[in-house]
Amino acid sequence: MRYRNPQLGEKLAAEYVLGTLRGRARARFQALMRYDPALRSRVTDWEDKLTPLAHAATDIAPPARVWNALSQRIAGEARQPRWWQSLALWRGLAASGAAFALVLAIVIGVAPEAQPPMSMVAVMNDTQGQPAMTVSWPSMQAVRDPYIRIKVTQKHPTMAPGTEWELWMLPPGKDKPVSLGLITTDVDQVMKLTPELASRIEGAWGIAMSIEPKGGSPSGTPTGPVVMKGPCVKLL
Amino acid sequence: MSEPLRDAQASRLAELLSQSALRNQSAFSELYSLTAPKLFGVALRILRRQDWAEEVLQECYMNIWNHAADYAVAKSAPLTWMTSIVRNRCLDWLRRPQQEATGDEYEIAVEAWQDENPGPVEQLMASGDAAALAHCLEEIEARQRQSIMLAFFHGMSHSEVASHMNQPLGTVKTWVRRGLERLKGCLEKGNNP
Repeated sequence: MRYRNPQLGEKLAAEYVLGTLRGRARARFQALMRYDPALRSRVTDWEDKLTPLAHAATDIAPPARVWNALSQRIAGEARQPRWWQSLALWRGLAASGAAFALVLAIVIGVAPEAQPPMSMVAVMNDTQGQPAMTVSWPSMQAVRDPYIRIKVTQKHPTMAPGTEWELWMLPPGKDKPVSLGLITTDVDQVMKLTPELASRIEGAWGIAMSIEPKGGSPSGTPTGPVVMKGPCVKLL
Repeated sequence: MSEPLRDAQASRLAELLSQSALRNQSAFSELYSLTAPKLFGVALRILRRQDWAEEVLQECYMNIWNHAADYAVAKSAPLTWMTSIVRNRCLDWLRRPQQEATGDEYEIAVEAWQDENPGPVEQLMASGDAAALAHCLEEIEARQRQSIMLAFFHGMSHSEVASHMNQPLGTVKTWVRRGLERLKGCLEKGNNP
């Protein structure tokens, strides 16, 4: 189908939000939407238009057991130490253990002796919950020129024209995401960091990637959909 | 609800979402109590089975808890963002082949509850919420409106709408398409007079 045709895009976005786009067409549309900001914004537009209708009826309180189950799951998560919390997250997202294998490879295998060992890693899952990329870095005090290493574990579909991938670190507290720069997702790469970014990245709790217009986010914070993210985990 | 009240509610929900992103459990609990009755209603009307609706609701709130940080980059109102998560999950749920409706014994009494209540368009009008949407729904042709309502409100597919209205599939598809085009035209005219 010619999804680039704006009229067709509009019709599909409307029927997607209405719910009449079904089966394989729906799955395919969802996949395309993740990499096409224009299509995504058509969908948001229709969601804004139609959602009031979803609430135009009497509210129905769910039984207490729903909240009881939820609060137990959340409390269970919060009781775990940070490392295990992250591990549990990966276990859920990557049942195959592939994420854990990646971390082991980074810790044990890949660093040649001349290079300092990686001290932090973020395994980023795509929106399907599959590990797609890892970002790791050494202790920034141990290197003269700070850098992060980006390893691509799963290739991604071609981007919509006029768009780019932007990598973000998520600082603790209420601070907004901080841009690390634009990347490509088809090859492993090393990205140099400014001293300021290097000092901040050691406190980051997660790394994320969003789709942005050419040249990167115009506002300095993510403007497009976040297509990958993962929590930072201390290795050393 | 008046407009300032709605805006106040939206900014409260946005605040609770950002607190939830920081793993604040009491903020999440408040978020749940403010929104769950709305979202459960949405899920129940689409799925029509209490057990499925409960399962989907629980899954969606876990999702919201884990992805609350993503709300910062969404451009919609908080409740719109959360509702879309629930609607999409319900529609994906209905796609699973093993989840074909299995019979009356599982159907909940949504119909009975519907009959006692004014129709959604009337409620939309009466609540003052999204008056523009209510107005535009009144403007479009009755059969187009009914097809759209059945699809959106009850999660019916084209063919379910067709059999419900006892009309050929192609006719219903046309009504849905034209109805959406009209609705869009009317809403956008209203926004930019």
